This record gives sequence, structure tokens and C-alpha cells, in this order.
Amino acid sequence: MSKEDEIVQSLTSEFPLLQDKAKVQRIRRVVADVTPDKFEQVFAYAKDNLGFSVLCTITGLDEGSTLGFIYHMSRTDGITFSLKYSVPKDKPVINSILQYFTNADIYERELEDLLGVKVEGLPEGNRYPLPDDWPKGEHPLRKDWKPKGAKIDTAETQVKEAK
Amino acid sequence: MRKVVIPIGPQHPALKEPESFSVTLSGERIMAFSARLGYNHRGIEKACEERTYLQDVYLIERICGICSHTHSTCFVQAVEEIAGLQVPKRALYIRSIIGELERIHSHLLWLGVAGHEVGFDTLLMYTWRDREVVMDILAELTGNRVNYGINLIGGVKRDLEKQHITDILKSVDILEERTKYYIQVCKEESTLIQRLSGVGVLSHNDALSLGAVGPTARASDVARDTRADDPYAAYDELDFKIVTDDHNDVYGRTLVRLGELMESYRLIRTAIKNLPEGLISVKAPRKIPVGEAFSRYEAPRGEDVHYVKSNGTDKPERVKVRAPTLANVQTVAKMLEDGQLADLPIVIAAIDPCFSCTDRLISVNSSKSETLGSMKWEDLRLYGIEWHRSKGMDFSAINKKLAERL
Amino acid sequence: MLISIFNLLVFPGIIFLGVAGMSAEFIDRKLYARMQNRTGPPWFQPWADFIKLVSKEDVVPTEANPRMFRAMPIFALTSTITASFYIPLWSTHALYSFNGDLIVTIYLLTIPTLTYFLGGWYSTSLYSKIGAIRSLTQLFAYEVPLLMCILAPALLANTWSLSEMAKFYSHHHWYWMFNLLGFAISLIALLGKLEKVPFDIPEAETEIVGGTFTEYSGRLLAMFKLSINIETIVGASLVSAVYLPFGLQLTPALGILLYVGKLLFIISILSLSRTIFARFRMDQMVEFCWKIVSPLAFLQMLICLILKGVLAI
Repeated sequence: MSKEDEIVQSLTSEFPLLQDKAKVQRIRRVVADVTPDKFEQVFAYAKDNLGFSVLCTITGLDEGSTLGFIYHMSRTDGITFSLKYSVPKDKPVINSILQYFTNADIYERELEDLLGVKVEGLPEGNRYPLPDDWPKGEHPLRKDWKPKGAKIDTAETQVKEAK
Repeated sequence: MRKVVIPIGPQHPALKEPESFSVTLSGERIMAFSARLGYNHRGIEKACEERTYLQDVYLIERICGICSHTHSTCFVQAVEEIAGLQVPKRALYIRSIIGELERIHSHLLWLGVAGHEVGFDTLLMYTWRDREVVMDILAELTGNRVNYGINLIGGVKRDLEKQHITDILKSVDILEERTKYYIQVCKEESTLIQRLSGVGVLSHNDALSLGAVGPTARASDVARDTRADDPYAAYDELDFKIVTDDHNDVYGRTLVRLGELMESYRLIRTAIKNLPEGLISVKAPRKIPVGEAFSRYEAPRGEDVHYVKSNGTDKPERVKVRAPTLANVQTVAKMLEDGQLADLPIVIAAIDPCFSCTDRLISVNSSKSETLGSMKWEDLRLYGIEWHRSKGMDFSAINKKLAERL
Repeated sequence: MLISIFNLLVFPGIIFLGVAGMSAEFIDRKLYARMQNRTGPPWFQPWADFIKLVSKEDVVPTEANPRMFRAMPIFALTSTITASFYIPLWSTHALYSFNGDLIVTIYLLTIPTLTYFLGGWYSTSLYSKIGAIRSLTQLFAYEVPLLMCILAPALLANTWSLSEMAKFYSHHHWYWMFNLLGFAISLIALLGKLEKVPFDIPEAETEIVGGTFTEYSGRLLAMFKLSINIETIVGASLVSAVYLPFGLQLTPALGILLYVGKLLFIISILSLSRTIFARFRMDQMVEFCWKIVSPLAFLQMLICLILKGVLAI
């Protein structure tokens, strides 16, 4: 049995709800989907028991009615684990993982700025990456956000202009 | 003496890019340090969602001028994985060769910058002169000195010819000899050693817990290198050593980078020796099937990660980029604890920060919306021209004359 | 009267020193560039820089004390020029001399550093203030060894006058060889005085932008730059007068040639050190000066005192 399969097996035996939700995407890539209430347990288990000691980054996704968060972790043998969960867009609140990774604050601030999610437990500090005078309630990575007044240079507009 | 807070940036001679740090000083001693990042946001992640995959390869390449091949390779790897493309071996080897040449150019550049930050300008002049050798080779191979544009989804754009191979080997020989000289300089020049050792100490445990990557981590004896851990391109077939050092300080980071230069020369030689024959690209579909991929790449500064999610159209659903500097910048506060003001530039420089990589996202410079109160670039340009004209500096006559001559 | 005015304004006064200072800057920059494998500036570059600065607008920060801010460059310039009058250049005679001019010269050469401190302090910018504090700290580090190692040859010559010293060493041809240690020390101190690498800590641009001179612009900055250039010449002349006092009885033409040669030698040592060293940190610099340079300067004094007894001068 490969290392990746071992990880999946260990996860599913510890958390039965991960049955079919945790899988090997390809060699050295393990992915899993969890519900928001179980997220922290699975996350802590992966960090402490499976050896995923490095937090690569946190990706935030706008999935229409929900906001998704993928926590990419890696360990020394090169296997990465992407743990994902979603929260509804009308109640965008997630918990901070600062207690597990002290370097997570910059990634969480990025989520706050760009996706407009409230991260509980994040201490006061400089915002990142938007300017200080950025208008409230504007979150650029939301799919319905468009830059105001700016010309977007996409393939279509280029063709239009050429005509 | 009472405490003073001095701003380093957004514009400061020690920073090659705009970022803002503020340092609380008591005399020459640093009491507190805080960073405000984000001055370089250009909206690239959002912009990627509005463009096709092919356009994105070029856009992503422009995240950074120094590690452009890093970002484009990392991105195309993810897209190739989603599309299930089998990239030809030869293309993978060429990617690795370009990647190593890029590492050489980046490390030589860093060495010069480090010399400059400690007031050793001669080192800057020497390394940057030698860097021209590798820049010329990159220009010969790809057509560009930076932003090489050699990656395609499914392969590379240009093949290596016989002449290229002899030229690469020739310049690698020159560079190896020069690098040996720099290693000697760094090991023997006493003022340099004094300025670098014991400065910006990051202990092994701190490096692990703060998630340091690249040479910053390896100088704290963390043997972590994506090329070895999670091989991509042709690295699984190439043999190389992970260079580590246990000095834990800026001096260690210098030695690691110099050691990596020597490894890169060796890697390039083996890659060229084993270069397989065959195609250099396969055709990629315009629309990429639904899927997601997480791609890692060992940039000169550390691990670069990209996440790409596709939705079955010709444009990605989401592109996420985490440049190595963002992981490393969080170690700087630790390194500066109880440090000297004089060491601040070199400590910041020692993680080889690349803030344009770090801040990819949003720019509203081009927006004229009143809520943001900014100006269109063109308006700003015209305003600048008008302002100078009112002060008696009018270039229109000269411009006209020059245009006539052409 | 006319001769005095000529002396003050033309030779060896402002114009001569200005020209020499500019040439020294050019030589320094050219050597520095050539040693770094660069082309370097053309001969008129220092002049072009100077003229450009002079033609620019003076900006005085609103927070700064305008009177002090404007006065400091003038003080720096005048004190360096005044110092040159007491140094014998290529003969055994300085323009003016009296017993004790050695001390006066050293003090006059300290004033520029004080003006950097005051100018930086009164510009009220943070970078300037830190630069100002650093230049004062540095002053305390190099000034003591400089004074000690310049006093040593004077002890041997039994005089406090630079011209008398020159006469003494011209009569006793090889006695200047005893002071070679002092020569090395004085070059180190001169590097500190001129704020050149490795002692360019007060204006370390990568740390504190321009240090003392951050807020200076236009004519005021030009004056500061000129005074540094002139200080290079005066400092090098002082070192050559004290430590290389040979060939002073030659004909004026040969004497001037030899004097220029000595200056070139000292300036090239300064450029060389600029090329091969990295910048020290403040604490390292102070430690270096107090723990290594000062004891050596003291040793030089001892050597001279013992020799004085042995040679029965």
C-alpha cells in the first residue's frame, strides 16, 4: 500500500464521515472535503498525527452560494494534503487556525480582504493586501465584483477594439 | 534615549520594490518591527479569471521579473495535470535547464544585492557583471533576458540546438570558475564575514514552525527542497544534493546560495548530457476539463505554489499563487528580534524578498471611480507633463525634432 | 594685502582647493570604478554634478530650523579651507604658522563633523537625526587615535607647529620612517573622518537613506559635497605633511610634483579600502577604534618618546 493510501485509510478510520470524501488525487496529492464543524478536528489530526507540518497556503474560493476554503499542507516526503470546507455566503465566518500555524495570519488576512470572510480569532493588525482606504464591502475575488471604471483587457474586448 | 519609530518604505533605497516596514528603535537597537505588505498588488489572480489559459501563461509569467519561469512553469504544470497532458521528456528537460539558469541568475543577483546592503559595492559590480553571462545565454535560448516566454501548456516553445548546448556549457564553465572565486571571497573576507555572521539568526525550530522555505530554511539546516521532495519537470531523473548549512544566520544563507549555484552548474551539465530526443510539445485543448490541481515548484527563493481550478471553459475558475516571499517574510520579525538597525537591510534582503511576487492581486490605479479617489494612468501622465510644462520644461519641441530625424 | 587676498581666494585658498578637491573626487571615483571593472565617470563629472546641484532649488524642510540648516554647510566649508592655511604643502613653510597650529588644524578639521551632526539634527528628519548621532559617535571613536598618532611625530620633533615639524624632518632625513605605524593609523582615522567605506556608517544609504544629508538639496548640498572634497585634500595634505615629510627642499616645480604624487598615493589607498571592504556596523567600528587602533596609536607615542630619549633630541 502506498503512503498516500495509508493517509486516506488513517483519515477514514479516524473520521468515518470522510468515507469517499478523502481520496488520492494523484501521486503525492491527497485531498479531502469536510463539513465546517468537523474541519478543525481533521485539521489538527492531519497536523499532529499524519505529519503535515507545513502550511503551504490557504486558497479561498467563491462557489456561488458558498465560500470554499482549501488548506494546503505538506510534509517532508513531498505529499501534500488539501483539506476543504465551505461556509454559506450569507454567513461568512470561519475560525482562525493561528493556534496550529503561527504563520497563517497573513493568509487569513488575505481571505478577509479579498473574499470578505470574517476570521474569528485573528488579532488586530495591518490589513493585507488591499490599501488602507479601500472601500468597505468591496471584495475583489468575489465573482460578482468587477473593477469599477477600469477597462478589462480580455480577449473579447481586444477583438472588439480591433474591429 | 527615547524610542523612535522610523519608516522603511514604501520608498526606501534599501528596498528595490515598494513595501512598508516600520521599525521602533531605541538608539540603534530594534525594539519592534512590523510590515505592511500589499503595495505591489496588480490584480493578477482576478485578471487570470477573466482571460484564457493561453493568455494566463503570459500574465502569470509577469508576476515577477526575476522568477518568471518559476511562475509560468508552476502554472502550466497545474493546467497540464488537469487536462491530463503527457508532456514530452525533452520539454521537461528544457524546462529544468531554463529553471536552473534562472536560479543562477537570481542567486548571482542576490549576492550582488547582499554586498550592496552591507556597503560592499565591489561584490555587487562583480557579480552583476558575471550575471550578464547567464542573461546572454537565456536571451540566446529563449529570445528574452527576462520573462522568457518559453513555456506552453503541453511543452516548450523552442528547442535546444547544437550551438545552444555548446554555448551553455561554455558559459557554465566561466560561471563555475567565478563562483568558486566568490565562495573564496565569502569565506576569507573578514569584514564581510563580520557583517554577515550572527546577524538575522533564525533557529532550526523557528524555521520549522514559521514555515520558512527555500535557502532561508536550508540555512537553518532544514533539508527541504521541492525539487527533491516533490519532483517536477525532469528533476526525478537528475541527481543533486540539497545544500544546507547550520549557521542559521545571513552568512549561512549566503553559503547556501553559493552552494546551490555550484549544484545548478552540475545539474545543467547532467541535464544536457541526458537530454532525450523527441518532440518538445503536445497540443493542448483550448477548453480545459473540470478539475483542480495543486502545483509546487522550487523557485530560487523557495517553494512557489499554485492552485488552479477549472470549470470546463477556456478560462480558469480560480488561480491562486503563493510566492515564496510570503512564506519567508513572516520570519523576518523573528530574525530582527533585538537586532541592530544597521543589520535591517541585510536581514530583509537575506530572504531575497520579491514583493511583486508576493502581492499579486488587486490594482485600482486604472479606476476613476470617485469612491477610490484615484487617477487613470494616462491622466496622471498628462498631469505630470502639464505640471512640468508650467514650470518651463517643455519637451514637445525636442520630441518633434527627434521625430523628424527619424 | 593684495597677496593675502590672492592667497585666500586663489592660491592656496578657495579656488585651488576646490579644483584639487574636484580632481580628488574624480580620481577616487575613477579608481573605484576601474577596480570594480567599470568604466567610471569622465573627468568633468564632479564639476557637472556640482554645477547641477548649484543650479537646483534649495529646499528647507518646514520643521527644520532654517538658520542652523543654512549655516552649517558654510561652516563646514570655511573651517576646512582655513585648516589648509596651516599645513605646509610642498615646502617647509605653511602660509601661516605659529607654535600650536597643529592643534588648531586638528580642531578645525573636527568642525565639519560637528556641522554634519548639527545640520542633521536641525533638519529634524528621522534619518538625518540617526545619521547625526552616528557621525558624532564615530567622531569619538576615530578622533582620539587620530590626535594621538599625530602628536607622536610632533613629540619627536619637539614642536607644536606643523611648519617647524616639516623643518625638523627635512634636517633629519630618515626619521619619518619611525612613524610608519602612525601613518597607517592616520589613514584609518582619515577614512572615518571622511565617512568613506568601511566607515560610511553615518550616511549608509541602505539603512538611513542619506543620513545627515537626507534633507539637504541644491546649493547647500553642493557646499557640503565641496567641503567633503576639500576635506579629502586637506586631510591627505595633513597626513603627508606629518608622515611623509621628504623632498621638501626641492625646487618648487619638483616639490609640487612630489606633493601631488603623495596626495595621489594617499587618495588611492582610500579608494582601495573603499573597494575591498564592506561597511562596518557602528558597534564594530567603535570597538575596532578603541580596542585596536587606539592602543596602536599609543604605541606609536611610546616609540617616539623612547626614541627621543635614545637619540637625545
